[in-house]
Amino acid sequence: MASAASLDVGRLVQEAEALASAVRGALGPRGGQMLLTRPTGETLLTRDGRRVLEALNLGPPTARMMVACVSRHHSMTGDGAKTFIILLSKLLRGLQAILDKREGSPFCEDIQRRESYQKHCHSLKQISQSLMTFQTHILDHIMAQDLRKHFLSAFSSWEGEISRDTMESILEAYFCGRIGNSHQKLLSQLSCDFYYKCISFKNGRNEMLNLVNEYFVELHSAVTGLPVSNSRILEGFVLHRDFAVYCPADGDIRMLIVTESIDSALSASGLEFVVNAEVQYQASQVWITKRTEAIMKHLQNNNIKVLLSSVKQQEIVIYYAKISGISIVECLSSEEISLLCKTTGISPFIPTRDNICSEITETMIAKFCQPLVLGSKRYVHLGLTKTCAFQPHCVIFCGPVHGVTEQHASAFHGAFKMLQQLFKAVDLSDGCEAQPETPVNASKAVHCNWQHSATQQKLIMENISCNREKVNGQQLKTSMAETEKQFIDFSSLVGENPSCNQTDLQKSADLAMPIVELESDFMFSALIDRGSSVRELQKPPVKCQHPSETWIKNKSEPVVTNHRICNDAMTAIENTSTSVVSKQLNAAKEYWKPGNHIVPFMYEKSYKHTVQSYTNVVIQAGSVLPVGGNFEILLHYYLHSYAKQCQQPKITLISTVIADALLSIPKILYSTTKENSFTQVFFKATSALQTNQQLPMHQEGLESVYCKYQLVASVLHCVAKLLTIDLIIGIRRLPQKTEVNDSEEDL
Amino acid sequence: MGGYVRTTSQSSALLGGLSITHPVLKVLTASVQNHISRFSDCGLFTAILCCSLVENFQRINFAACTVTKISRHLLSLCTDYLKSEACGCRISVDFDSIKTLLSLVHSVLASKPACMLNKTEANHLSTLVLKAFLLTIPHTVETNVVLGKCVIVPVKDKRVMDSTVFPGLLIEIPESQLARTFPVIRVSSSTIKMALFCISLSGDLSNIGEGTVIVHHGISLEVAVLDQLLNLGKQLINDQVGLVVCQKVIHPSLKQYLEEHRVITIDRVGVSMMEPLSQLTGSQPIAALHSVSPTCYGSLKDLRTESFVSKNFLHLIPNDTLVCSLILCNRNEMAWDELKLACQTAEHVLQLTIKQPLALLGGGCTETHLASYIRHKSFTLPASVLKAIDCSRTQYQLVADAFSRSLECVACCLEHDDGEILTDMVYGHFWSVQSGFPSDCNWSDLVLKCGCGICSNQQNLNWTVLQSQCIPFTP
Repeated sequence: MASAASLDVGRLVQEAEALASAVRGALGPRGGQMLLTRPTGETLLTRDGRRVLEALNLGPPTARMMVACVSRHHSMTGDGAKTFIILLSKLLRGLQAILDKREGSPFCEDIQRRESYQKHCHSLKQISQSLMTFQTHILDHIMAQDLRKHFLSAFSSWEGEISRDTMESILEAYFCGRIGNSHQKLLSQLSCDFYYKCISFKNGRNEMLNLVNEYFVELHSAVTGLPVSNSRILEGFVLHRDFAVYCPADGDIRMLIVTESIDSALSASGLEFVVNAEVQYQASQVWITKRTEAIMKHLQNNNIKVLLSSVKQQEIVIYYAKISGISIVECLSSEEISLLCKTTGISPFIPTRDNICSEITETMIAKFCQPLVLGSKRYVHLGLTKTCAFQPHCVIFCGPVHGVTEQHASAFHGAFKMLQQLFKAVDLSDGCEAQPETPVNASKAVHCNWQHSATQQKLIMENISCNREKVNGQQLKTSMAETEKQFIDFSSLVGENPSCNQTDLQKSADLAMPIVELESDFMFSALIDRGSSVRELQKPPVKCQHPSETWIKNKSEPVVTNHRICNDAMTAIENTSTSVVSKQLNAAKEYWKPGNHIVPFMYEKSYKHTVQSYTNVVIQAGSVLPVGGNFEILLHYYLHSYAKQCQQPKITLISTVIADALLSIPKILYSTTKENSFTQVFFKATSALQTNQQLPMHQEGLESVYCKYQLVASVLHCVAKLLTIDLIIGIRRLPQKTEVNDSEEDL
Repeated sequence: MGGYVRTTSQSSALLGGLSITHPVLKVLTASVQNHISRFSDCGLFTAILCCSLVENFQRINFAACTVTKISRHLLSLCTDYLKSEACGCRISVDFDSIKTLLSLVHSVLASKPACMLNKTEANHLSTLVLKAFLLTIPHTVETNVVLGKCVIVPVKDKRVMDSTVFPGLLIEIPESQLARTFPVIRVSSSTIKMALFCISLSGDLSNIGEGTVIVHHGISLEVAVLDQLLNLGKQLINDQVGLVVCQKVIHPSLKQYLEEHRVITIDRVGVSMMEPLSQLTGSQPIAALHSVSPTCYGSLKDLRTESFVSKNFLHLIPNDTLVCSLILCNRNEMAWDELKLACQTAEHVLQLTIKQPLALLGGGCTETHLASYIRHKSFTLPASVLKAIDCSRTQYQLVADAFSRSLECVACCLEHDDGEILTDMVYGHFWSVQSGFPSDCNWSDLVLKCGCGICSNQQNLNWTVLQSQCIPFTP
């Protein structure tokens, strides 16, 4: 029993818009809460777009696909579910408009098919392909080329430290979107505290974030019936169990993890126990008791004070533990056990005949281990002394109802996912490698560029060397008598030139790659080595010469309020790389000149690579933008200007559609405020961009660029995936015996 | 037709029994119930306040986020005021004198009309609850104070005035056992040794394991276990144990053996009694059948029997009281349930008072006082605060007024006899007058005492009708 239907873009648009309207009301800081009710009588009070969408229990398969995409995106970045679905609906609406136009549309031109259905399908595929091309090739370049100069850095210095002010404004903006402005201050403070308390040393940041995200369930507890303001951070772990036995202990407490019962049973699985006489049975019972007593005594002699067990221990064990002054916590979850093992680096203790007499080494040491009453539940509060990059702390969420604490917990978890994303960087090469099969259109585009680039080559080289002279000249000038204005001129000069060249060159280099695959790999490594040494040599003098470095350090204003510092800092890096590149270029020239017949290709490639090794980062780790739709407006602006220049009609069209769809987000954000209407904000921003000024800021707070970038990329992926659907087949009855067949095949 | 009928005045019973369909009300009742689970008392107050807040805020019809922001600020004003020393509606609880504590308990019990207590009964019970509470406080104070336990023993079909408090524990025993037990083995005239078992002494085979056990013909494991049990009994008698208490079942043969040797046995006491028992006697629950360590035994001062109506109890009298038993009597099952809840609430309130020895004025005075404080504050709020909240002064005042009205609404609910409620313009207390007074009379002729009883009729208190438009004043 199956029914098949072809994909209807109109239906897709309807579904996406229905979903978007479900969450629209809760978008942004002024959005409200949603109260969902189930037929079973449960209520869910939430503002979480993902929870709402997942709770809807949708019928249409395409709508379910959209929700699945949202969930995947949300679980990765911890944010953006609502934005995702709104953007998706606008994008689909825009694409539908293209399809409806038919005549003059670049997606319908090149094929002459009679059947309109096939034609329709074909144009859908083409759109899908162009979307992918756009995402893999153009989006990154626009990010690197245009948007990048607007990014601020969350780091206060280039050693990768993040100041508390910046952290707070990032987290505050995040919670503003996730839970509204009712408790955002409290939660952002709480998460900020948590971050700084958990991090034990600077380089352990990623490890700490990974642990927090993986074990968040174990690291938080909820108490209902208390005011939200009672939420707090506790040092150490809270194990979600009560003591089976509690014997108070002071000082350093040695603890042991066990994963099986200490008391041995009369028989084990696969073994038989034969009773020949009553005395024998009694003797064996006594022996078991004595053995358990011996083990507990052994633990006591080894100064073990606490036993953490993943299984339930027999009453006899508890009895002897009490006598020996050992506390026992039983039935710990496997996650709790693995979290403890990971943070302390010990492995569970298994009592065997051999180690019953030897010394126990696999122990952890705690400062305290005591009962903790949270609400009506009793837990174990554990403070470890020796830990890894993660300093154990846990959060306690209080709220009037379960829904509130759960919402806060999930927002808190999301914040740490977001932070994890914040510290990620995007490389240009990443995008290309992730998409090994280059779409037809892309290779076409590359072809065109390739023809040009041969002629461009020389020009670029000249350009670079010219640049270099300018750079050096400028540097001298600035170091002698630096005025801010000059500095900015200079920065825009350096910031734009090399990246322009780079994009052109990269395309041509893409083609060159397969031809010289073998040799290039070998030679590259040599080149990179050389490159890094040149860089090392080159960097210190530049650093000294360059006033920007010292300037940054001297500046006492917080980063948040000052765009320029970060921009300049970015330039400083670019500046070093350019000068390195120019040096490198010369070096490469010399290196490759001695009569090699693949010189033209190699030259090309070497250049590309050296450029990439320094400036191939599209988004640097810790890049942020002010909140309030700034990212969307910026991307809109640059996409439009790209579309104007672009020669290919398909890409132009796609870029325009995406650019327009992006604007829907700030439109909704500013729809409820009185002072700043969307038109005002947009007009101000665009005019600022046209005159190369900084964007005006309307709200305080920063958001991660990486998350936003990921969002756009995910939406594009989702649309591309939806449009490639040929046929939707609904299967009414579950096919029988499939499971059996599958398992047999597996075997 | 038919079914269980319950009369109650407790929010926990009321809200638990209602079947609510409206989603908003569901959230509201859930939060009230969670509040009760933490603080035991004031569920109805919370519910009424929540409802009237929703009602009053809806009436002013502002954007939701503005109202949330302002009411958040109002809440912080309230809590700051209640925490400050200058607060006019709180008094500190003095644990040296019994008066405040007694009135605290009394107001909890008296606020539950469905308990059907008359004045003497309420006074009697308040004294008992307070006495029971004081018995659970340890004599020596260490760093970690652990309160003892008060076990409520139900006795129905008796008058409330028959309720009493016993230090120590009362364990119900069948009458047949009562005759056989005495005299008991004593270590000395004032010490009885006691063993407390947490494992079954019924002779079951335990912990066989996952494998198989093969028993040869003619061998009985039960006999083997019983043999072990009797050996255990021998050891207990040798150790001069006078009382054996077991959480689970004791084998009849062992029971008989022990009783023959003048050892009292009590079994099936259940897991809930284990903690008070071990707290009371200092004994550790034993989980081994062989080689019982003598350190696990506890001791009692004395053992007695008590009987109430048709029930017989064994009274365990400890050396150091931390555990006490409150025998609670009431006429019928339903009224008893209600009374038990009220007593538990009162006990919890007392426990919370130890944490923070402060009490608020009752009788509606706190609510009216706080309402007038909020009104007053909303008129004198600095502009910087308004800017931080991002609202106008009028907006703030309107929300503050709605907030104060909601507080006063709770106070109004205390007046059941259709009377008029007044408030004075000096302290902002709650004054109730009977309805049907002549319109031209002087307020001071009508009022006697305020709700909490602190203020009495003086001149110049400047009464007005509650919730009428009035000028704000400094309370």
